[in-house]
Amino acid sequence: MKTFSRLSIPYLIWLAMMVLLPMLLIAFYSVTDSGNGIISFTFTFDHFIKFFTDRDFLLILWRSLVIAVKTTVICVILGYPVAYFIANSSDRMRNGLILAITIPMWINMLVRTYAWIGILSEGGPLQSLLEMLGFGSHELMYTEGAVLLGMVYNFIPFMILQINTSLCKMDKSLIEASADLGADKVQTFMRVVFPLSLPGVVSGISLVFLPAVSSFFIPKLLGGGQFFLIGNVIENQFITVGEWNFGSAISMIMAVIMMCSMYLVRRLDSRTEGRVSGSRTLPGGRLAS
Amino acid sequence: MRKLLLSAIAAVSAAALTACGGGNEGPYAGQTLHVYNWGEYTGENLIANFEEQTGATVVMDNFESNEQMYIKVANGESFDILVPSDYMIERLIREDLLQKLDKSKLDCLDLLADGVKGLPYDPNNDYSVPYFWGTVGIVYDKNVVSEEDLEAEGFNIFKDTKYKGDIYLYDSERDSFMMALKALGYSMNTTNEDELNEAYEWLVECVETMEPEIVTDEIIDNMAQGRKALGLIYSGDAAYVMTENEDMGFFMPETGTNLWSDAMVIPKNAENPDLAHEFINYVTSYEGAADNTETVGYTSPNAEVMEEYSSEGGYYYGINAYIPRTGNPNDEVFVYDETTRAIIADLWSRVKVAASNA
Repeated sequence: MKTFSRLSIPYLIWLAMMVLLPMLLIAFYSVTDSGNGIISFTFTFDHFIKFFTDRDFLLILWRSLVIAVKTTVICVILGYPVAYFIANSSDRMRNGLILAITIPMWINMLVRTYAWIGILSEGGPLQSLLEMLGFGSHELMYTEGAVLLGMVYNFIPFMILQINTSLCKMDKSLIEASADLGADKVQTFMRVVFPLSLPGVVSGISLVFLPAVSSFFIPKLLGGGQFFLIGNVIENQFITVGEWNFGSAISMIMAVIMMCSMYLVRRLDSRTEGRVSGSRTLPGGRLAS
Repeated sequence: MRKLLLSAIAAVSAAALTACGGGNEGPYAGQTLHVYNWGEYTGENLIANFEEQTGATVVMDNFESNEQMYIKVANGESFDILVPSDYMIERLIREDLLQKLDKSKLDCLDLLADGVKGLPYDPNNDYSVPYFWGTVGIVYDKNVVSEEDLEAEGFNIFKDTKYKGDIYLYDSERDSFMMALKALGYSMNTTNEDELNEAYEWLVECVETMEPEIVTDEIIDNMAQGRKALGLIYSGDAAYVMTENEDMGFFMPETGTNLWSDAMVIPKNAENPDLAHEFINYVTSYEGAADNTETVGYTSPNAEVMEEYSSEGGYYYGINAYIPRTGNPNDEVFVYDETTRAIIADLWSRVKVAASNA
């Protein structure tokens, strides 16, 4: 066994260099003064104070959280029925549908978001269609709706795939048993299928919420320069302002918020698993990345 | 067997060698020129014609910003030609990264238009030969915006609530602060923090009351299709917009604007400076300059080409954006100052934050 565990050493070194070291650097930057070297530096909490005492930054943080929650809720509402439908299809159909969901993900997210610019732009196909149907001429680009659409579009496959996996792994005999015991279809769904699929929903939520709350190129492309989310603020601090320390501080704040939400989601997960006692433990609440 | 393989390899590489050399009989046959330029910034046939004339091969890389280019050059990557903007050339000269041009090898300096010669960043053109030049101004829909309003308000028209929701701002701290500072009657190169703060207040008021869309190059297509009434734009882009849509006009406020130039320079570590000089000559020559200006739409530094393209029958006839304004004492060339850059960058990111919360 010892020889096998040694095989993990290269991986651990890689992990330390590629994951741990950058994280530590960000943490280090966030609590030090700007313009210092490796040897001389002063610790400061100014960046955190600056962030939490500025109404504008807090408003943007709030808006980022709200839009991420909206994205997640829409993804659950739209994604669940799709996943349910896929899970209940025949094997061949299911493979085809899963493929259809996955194929767009082979194309770079950035490219797909650019495609939406064309669709949503003024005089573009969607606006013309809405006009033809008598909804009047509305501006679609550079609105919150456009950003929300972009986020749901980009992240919903994660939700569908997670829910679908947990639905497929479900023991079908439980449904038969439920029917045997006299439950109708709605009762079976509400009391057996849905609770059993919750771990999938929960891991879907973390896979959608986390990238949504920190996304920066979707608001940048579909929201324009006047629709900032917290990810854009961080990007801006690094790329154009050159305030790496402040940018790192905001990143740390985001990391803490994400860890808290992960913790909450996991608690929810373990509680649902506890409630459906007697069922197998299902994979869930685990972040794939 | 091994012998056969070896001779096969030899045959293939010989074929490859002749393929490379074949047809190239110019004075620089077999040599390579590394050019680092902006994207979509060269004439359609420029490179092909230059290769044919000299026999050399041109390898061109593109950058998106002066800063991006600077990092590569400062890290020692070797290019023969760079095409940075005015303020970046100043910085490269100061940091001793450029070599002086050998004027005995250049026959193009006399061809340059007066307005673009000897700009402050390189007063004697010792290091640089202009590639394109222009100004920044206001592109506007002639059917919606009256010229009197523009004359009377200048850049303050971006705060005229008559045009609320109908304007584009350009997402660049340098150009936005230029606009605000000029609207307030200050120098765009001010280092006075009070003036910079005043400009910041001006911009915040603008984004909070006017519902602008803050975009970059999207402005070009959108204005060509007449989607909004007003926008801040580079003169060369305005020239393109105006050739596409005749309802569009271009206006430069009397209070002054930014006169800019992108120019060719040869870095210290260039591997083929002789060929680089040749390239500068060709790009500035009538043939090269005409090709560039016709494809890209920015103003040619070659006086004859600029004249021809803007006079009757020319491609840009009647398009005022094509000819950069000279002689207005309020017009300025951007001067690089690291402290001010950092302040402006920070303030601009706050303007965008304010715009998001408006």
